[in-house]
Amino acid sequence: MSRQNEAEEQRRQRGQRALLLLSLAFIAAVTLCGFLAPLLSPYSPAGLQEGRILEGPSWSHWLGTDGLGRDLFTRILYGARVSLTVGIGTALIALIIGSLYGLISGYSGGPLDSLLMRIVDVVYSLPDLLIFILLSLLLGRNIAGVLLALGLVSWVRFARIARGQVLQAKEFVYVEGARAIGASHLRIIMRHILPNIAGPILVTLTFSIPAAILAESTLSFIGLGINDPYSEWGTSWGTLAQDGWRAMRTYPHIILFPGLAIFFTILSFNYLGNGLRDILDPKGK
Amino acid sequence: MPHALRIAGRCALALSLVILFISCRPSSEVASDKVVRVNLGTEPPSLDWSVATDHVSFNVIANLMVGLTEFDRDLKPGPVIARSWDVLEGGKRIVFHLRDDVLWSDGKKVRAQDFEYSWKRLLHPKTASEYAYILFDIVNAEAFHRGKIDDHRLLGVTAKDDRTLEVRLRHPASYFLSITTFEVTYPQRQDIIERYGAKWTEPENIVTNGPFLLASWKHEDEIQLRANPRFFLGRPAIERVDMYMINEKTTALALYEQGRLDFLDNHSIPIFEKPRLVKHEGFRSVPQLRGYYYGFVTDRKPFDDARVRKAFALAIDRTVFPKILHGGEEPATSWIPPGMLAHNVEIGVRYNPAEARRLLREAGYPDGKGFPQVTLGYNTDEDHKIVAEAIQGMWKQNLGVLVRLENQEWKVYLSKLQSDPPHIFRLGWGADFPDPDNFMRLFTSLSGNNNTRWKNRRFDELVDLAAREWNTQKRVQLYNEAQKILCETDLPIIPLFTTAESTLLRPRFAGLEYNSMSRLVLRDVRLKNSQ
Amino acid sequence: MVRFLIKRLLHALVVLWVVASLTFFLLHITPGGPFDRERRLPPEVLANVAAKYHLDEPWWNQYTRYLTGIVQGDLGPSYKYLDRNVRDIVADTLPVSASLGIFALGFSLALSFPVGLIAAYYRNSWTDRFCLFIATLGISVPTFILGALLIWLFSLQLGWFQAGRWGDINSAVLPTATLGAAPAAYLSYLLRSAILDTLGEDFVRTARAKGLKETTVLFKHALSNSLIPVLTVLGPLTAGLVTGSFVVEYVFAIPGMGRFFITAVTDRDYPLIMGVTLVYTALLVGANLLVDLLYSFFDPRIKAQ
Repeated sequence: MSRQNEAEEQRRQRGQRALLLLSLAFIAAVTLCGFLAPLLSPYSPAGLQEGRILEGPSWSHWLGTDGLGRDLFTRILYGARVSLTVGIGTALIALIIGSLYGLISGYSGGPLDSLLMRIVDVVYSLPDLLIFILLSLLLGRNIAGVLLALGLVSWVRFARIARGQVLQAKEFVYVEGARAIGASHLRIIMRHILPNIAGPILVTLTFSIPAAILAESTLSFIGLGINDPYSEWGTSWGTLAQDGWRAMRTYPHIILFPGLAIFFTILSFNYLGNGLRDILDPKGK
Repeated sequence: MPHALRIAGRCALALSLVILFISCRPSSEVASDKVVRVNLGTEPPSLDWSVATDHVSFNVIANLMVGLTEFDRDLKPGPVIARSWDVLEGGKRIVFHLRDDVLWSDGKKVRAQDFEYSWKRLLHPKTASEYAYILFDIVNAEAFHRGKIDDHRLLGVTAKDDRTLEVRLRHPASYFLSITTFEVTYPQRQDIIERYGAKWTEPENIVTNGPFLLASWKHEDEIQLRANPRFFLGRPAIERVDMYMINEKTTALALYEQGRLDFLDNHSIPIFEKPRLVKHEGFRSVPQLRGYYYGFVTDRKPFDDARVRKAFALAIDRTVFPKILHGGEEPATSWIPPGMLAHNVEIGVRYNPAEARRLLREAGYPDGKGFPQVTLGYNTDEDHKIVAEAIQGMWKQNLGVLVRLENQEWKVYLSKLQSDPPHIFRLGWGADFPDPDNFMRLFTSLSGNNNTRWKNRRFDELVDLAAREWNTQKRVQLYNEAQKILCETDLPIIPLFTTAESTLLRPRFAGLEYNSMSRLVLRDVRLKNSQ
Repeated sequence: MVRFLIKRLLHALVVLWVVASLTFFLLHITPGGPFDRERRLPPEVLANVAAKYHLDEPWWNQYTRYLTGIVQGDLGPSYKYLDRNVRDIVADTLPVSASLGIFALGFSLALSFPVGLIAAYYRNSWTDRFCLFIATLGISVPTFILGALLIWLFSLQLGWFQAGRWGDINSAVLPTATLGAAPAAYLSYLLRSAILDTLGEDFVRTARAKGLKETTVLFKHALSNSLIPVLTVLGPLTAGLVTGSFVVEYVFAIPGMGRFFITAVTDRDYPLIMGVTLVYTALLVGANLLVDLLYSFFDPRIKAQ
């Protein structure tokens, strides 16, 4: 490799790191805003303020107000809690179910493996949205129900990746060696296989978060998103944007600002995922 | 420039040229003068008026068909196909005399037998019509529907000859004439239905008698109606009606603004756009015979105490609803809606936070202290959400009680109402036929739709007495007393408002409106400057 | 080859059967029934309605009745659309969804190939980053917000395109772009990384060492070898696009089939839900099978197992 290429490579890495840090910073800021929402805004995200219905952005209401006179900025702050919880929670549920499944499948091999993979085929052949809806009707209209419904649909990706990685790792010399000296299965998995599959799984996790936020916003469009202004959780960004879609012509700010919040958050997670992949899983770029 | 880039560049150029070409086409199609384009909202589930159940289907059917009677501006049934009728035997027998100049679209005359067939079809168990019960006042109708009687000749509806239809009722029913305004009682052609089976409603098969003919039906997309030149009340002024099926209100409004749609209604106007559209020429708000209420489950704490229920009713400022829903909703304290016989604004409890707090204290919950956790349920919907959140705020402010909101998808909600209802639930009620019986019977002990589990013998008695009463004055008095029980003393429900239909009609047209039964009446639409 | 085909077909049938059964049981444990109405039906009326659709029979009978129906090619009646049966409804709406889906697929391919190629060619430069950014946009906005944005800009402000309904080419532009945005982004990413992967392989190095022009290397060797991963995702992607998207069909008022994945559930129109689900699954399984066949055609190294 020429020196020029090396310099380019360094520049690239620096650029990549900067983007990664920027994304991380944005995500941290959004999370913090969600936690500190009551301190950051003098307004309540709930209730009815009769005199302030559907105002545009102003000094007292930076992002304007909505159909019940609630401050949109405040609602977006509180909404960060729901949307991030949905994103991260769903991804974690999917991760746990999926990697365990993939691990068992890949590690055991043989007929159990093919049976488990046939089940994955079936789950994969179901229309996602339909299953979301059915599960969220079955599990109830609260944050836990939505999390579980989304998680139960999106674990398949983790299962496939985990299984693939396990199959690779099983071939490694040291795994075979460990098995030869009679190490227990649990030990082999914990010691030798998990560390190997952690990288790709973490990258998948990062990409699953924006996917879950998008999925929740699709549920919101159908009217099944999370909305409970008086609870600690508040109303998701998806639901806020859906309210805005119904007022788009006259009051574009109601869809614009939640839309931007979703956009920048998802963008950050995607850049974070790209960056992590470069570092943890350089082959898969 | 590298080869790859050059190719990519050419592709991009070609693509943008194509887009440019497409976009240069005139974007707003010029509608022919005598075509009016309206939005149905969704695909009508059925155009067979024996089995249709929803307002979208009825909106189409009501323009294809006419029946015995239709109601006038005062919501009294007036003659259409029935020239006149005699009420005999104290209201137990009604004889309709039919006109002989009403034609089906295939040229045959509409006969009394067509009504007899249609009503028997409605009642037949195999038809499985959800509205069969609407004719249960007819002699033997219920037994026939249950399959206990097979012989349809025992039914109390008979065509005495081509022009005479005789109906025998189990008991006098002052509202029966109103039932004959309802689309499910419109006549049907036995020969057509038997020839084509389930496909008889397709445009090439269907035979109708109303102001418009079904010209085409592109499912999920568009229905076209053509003026019926042989309509017995005269051919409509408009040549054609295009009925689109645009689900999203925002999209419908965008199409209106692009000049691709001429008429918007509640299913096409997003509520937050109403404040702007109100100022447009052609915007109207038509009150509907549809009540919106919150009900209490009255056999569970804390709402088994009428004082608590009354406190919750007193704590609601109903003037807010038109301000947040923007659609000309009429705040209501009593149950029978404006426009209907026996509507009475005097009845009911009004906003009074001090009195509400006093009652709540009296019931043992000073300033809401010690009040159990209660849930307000509603089905997932934009408007219901806004109303629920607003009322939640009022109760919190005026009573110190924070009610938990819980919304459920419609069907889940309906099944929960029976199995595991929330303490307070939202429901609405629309009239099938414009008679107070339809509204008041809802809360009687035997009503299958009374989700409040509230029973009041006097109330039941009053509703029954009123149904048998042909003297209008006396009926009103009976309903007044019943409404006082319902909305002042017992309050198993809080009436909130009656809905209104907001409509926006392109100013070059006139005469297109909803009637108060939520029907789109297209018969009188005309271009403004022509006669 | 024939044995492989038969095996795969049998496998596909099993998947279809499991999907049908799973959906059937999920539906039947979901609260709320098709004839729950605001105006509750009197029991005798409900009994007649239930009898008409055999809903009064035990679930086992309903299940076997349904499966027998499917085997005979009968998808059953619709509980909601009383004048039509499920087969009519699918026949009416699937072609619309399919044409929109194919437009969207074409759109995403037309967009992702240049973007992916340019990004790979100028890898790690600002051009690359810009291309990736554009691609990321496509997967960073919920579909309905993207649709809203396009309608607001191109229909209401500029007046270029029709805001909704399905008809001429003009009306197809916005829904195509909305539906195609996410796949376009996804494919761009995929192409870029696939090309970069092959660029690192030995035969490409050899080609370079032979002094071939970079563009020749890119097109002749890297691109053609990068088609395999694209082909892999293209199968399921096509099946998904062709069966329609609820959001796009609602936002743009398009009479397609995707809407039923939601509306049939909210109506509890069991046969219709089962019908569209089976169509979806059949297309998906079929597309995957086709991709596998194409594999062994394109790349003899991958032997049909």
